[in-house]
Amino acid sequence: MEFDLFHNLATGFGAAFSLQNLGFALLGVFLGTLIGVLPGIGPIPAIAMLLPITFQLEPLSALIMLAGLYYGAQYGGSTTSILVNIPGEAGSIVTCIDGHQMARQGRAGTALAVAALGSFFAGCVGTIFIAAFGPPLSALAQQFNSPDYFSLMVLGLTTAVVLAHGSVVKAIAMVLIGLLLGLVGTDVSSGLTRYTFNITAIWEGIDFLPLVIGMFGVVEIIRNLEHKELPRPLIGTKFRDVWPSMKDFHDSWRAVLRGTGLGSILGILPGGGAVLAAFAAYTVEKKVAKDPSRFGKGAIEGVAGPEAANNAAAQTSFIPLLTLGLPSNAIMALMMGAMIIQGIEPGAAVMTKRPDLFWGMVASMWIGNLMLLVLNLPLIGIWVRLLSVPYRLLYPAILLFCIIGVYSINTNIAQLVIVALFAAFGYLLYKFGCEPAPLVLGFILGPVMEENLRRSLVISRGDPMVFFERPISAVLLAMTLAVILLIVLPQFRKTREEAFQE
Amino acid sequence: MLQVKSPQDLAAGIVFIVIGAAGIIFGMDLRLGTAARMGPGYFPMLLSGLIIAIGLIVAARGFSLEGPPIERIPVRPVFFILGAILASGFLLNMVGLALTAVAVTIIAAYARRDVNLKETILLGVGMAIFSVVVFVYALNQPLPAWWGR
Repeated sequence: MEFDLFHNLATGFGAAFSLQNLGFALLGVFLGTLIGVLPGIGPIPAIAMLLPITFQLEPLSALIMLAGLYYGAQYGGSTTSILVNIPGEAGSIVTCIDGHQMARQGRAGTALAVAALGSFFAGCVGTIFIAAFGPPLSALAQQFNSPDYFSLMVLGLTTAVVLAHGSVVKAIAMVLIGLLLGLVGTDVSSGLTRYTFNITAIWEGIDFLPLVIGMFGVVEIIRNLEHKELPRPLIGTKFRDVWPSMKDFHDSWRAVLRGTGLGSILGILPGGGAVLAAFAAYTVEKKVAKDPSRFGKGAIEGVAGPEAANNAAAQTSFIPLLTLGLPSNAIMALMMGAMIIQGIEPGAAVMTKRPDLFWGMVASMWIGNLMLLVLNLPLIGIWVRLLSVPYRLLYPAILLFCIIGVYSINTNIAQLVIVALFAAFGYLLYKFGCEPAPLVLGFILGPVMEENLRRSLVISRGDPMVFFERPISAVLLAMTLAVILLIVLPQFRKTREEAFQE
Repeated sequence: MLQVKSPQDLAAGIVFIVIGAAGIIFGMDLRLGTAARMGPGYFPMLLSGLIIAIGLIVAARGFSLEGPPIERIPVRPVFFILGAILASGFLLNMVGLALTAVAVTIIAAYARRDVNLKETILLGVGMAIFSVVVFVYALNQPLPAWWGR
């Protein structure tokens, strides 16, 4: 087994170390840092905009670049949080609390360094996590049958809804609407078109990209324009000030370890990912601290823990996608979209049919994390200067890139109308307190879920008990029930609300 | 007398019910089939029914639980941003990417108040040059740079 791991990693590094793939890893983490630093654009629209460009690349290069963008954004986001008290990216919201206080006390360099070093350590551990948990999980997934897959998706979507931000009931409705939207187009088994209203552009289904760009990219721009642009009181820093003292190391290494562990586990859970991990790590650090009153006043653990956690989670959230074919958050749904476009079916088969792809990605993540450390610390001055670009110059450019991305898929202007429609729809639902992420998860899983339901019921001749009789499926459904019970329990509800309050 | 306590919930509930109802009405002519042999209408009907059920629950909560009001929807950004997207759809095929880039930048800029037209045009020209060079020439994306192609 240990030899296998070594052998596999060697395959991976072999694939990732080609000049081309190193280049795409660098491009990915560079762009990731960029969008992480810039407030007002998150990784979701950025990945969506880059998707059409990756069509022409080899699958491995495309995935390496997109993955780099995601975890790169976690690094960049902390810079903005610490220096200007605005989260550059949702995973770094909690870093603002103590990170910015540290900066105001003249310890910006230390905060940045602890964030970057903590992230690097967490990224390495996250990578090992994938390498260790990937093969057994994918071996387990190979025993899955249609009923098991159906139950797995029920569990995944339920957990995603419970762990996500906002109202649970509304999130369930959003998942169901997403599933329904996913069914638009030609039905694979009967060949009939559903809900197409004779519009040729959606005969083969609503395209993934216009939907995501509309609901995330465009809605985000409108939301940012609603509020007056905040002044960004920048606290400058130089590379010279960056290296932390022995005392800083001593104060933060335990927090980094806790954050890494927590982030690695929360990243695997559906609905988890970087944002939840960072919030949870901050809460934990506050709980275990000898003197919790230091938090909010520049406690170094309040930077180290969450920053390690968000990066570890960004890494490990690839596990369910690569092994089970289950995207755990909206970004993984995008990665799944990218894989499907490349002709790769996400899931257990990736590991057996394309081991170079799986291990290449794992290896590239480690390389990418190393690149990020180099990009972030010495080049901090450049990133800081970027922060002075005002949003009024930024958003027309973001909008134009969104348009170009969507138009490039098939040069059909109907796609742009779909973008506008979903932007309006997403914005309205946002005003009514509904988050778009569950809808996207449902949308990408809709056809797969229907197919597995259909097959299960064919096997059982229409008896729904099949989902309870197969052991794997029964266990998964029991876990689903446990998750639902958890949310009903008052104790858990309270913790959940507290976690999202901060 | 019923009193709306949480407008957001009521509105969201109504949207859900409308979507579920649309799913059922427009899916009427799809064959349902039986559980053992699901027709194309089976899963959509199941989902639509569930969406309506949740819509009813959420709408009912709007009358029973206190909740935040619906924030005002600012017309200006919505109008100009969506306008820029739709305009780009017509312009791209007609005049190509370069001029579309300028137009999108200018329309989008009016989503804010106090537009500095000179700065905006400069930005637009810059964006046009950048996007034509990067997307059309360097990345070979299927976009017309100018009209007539």
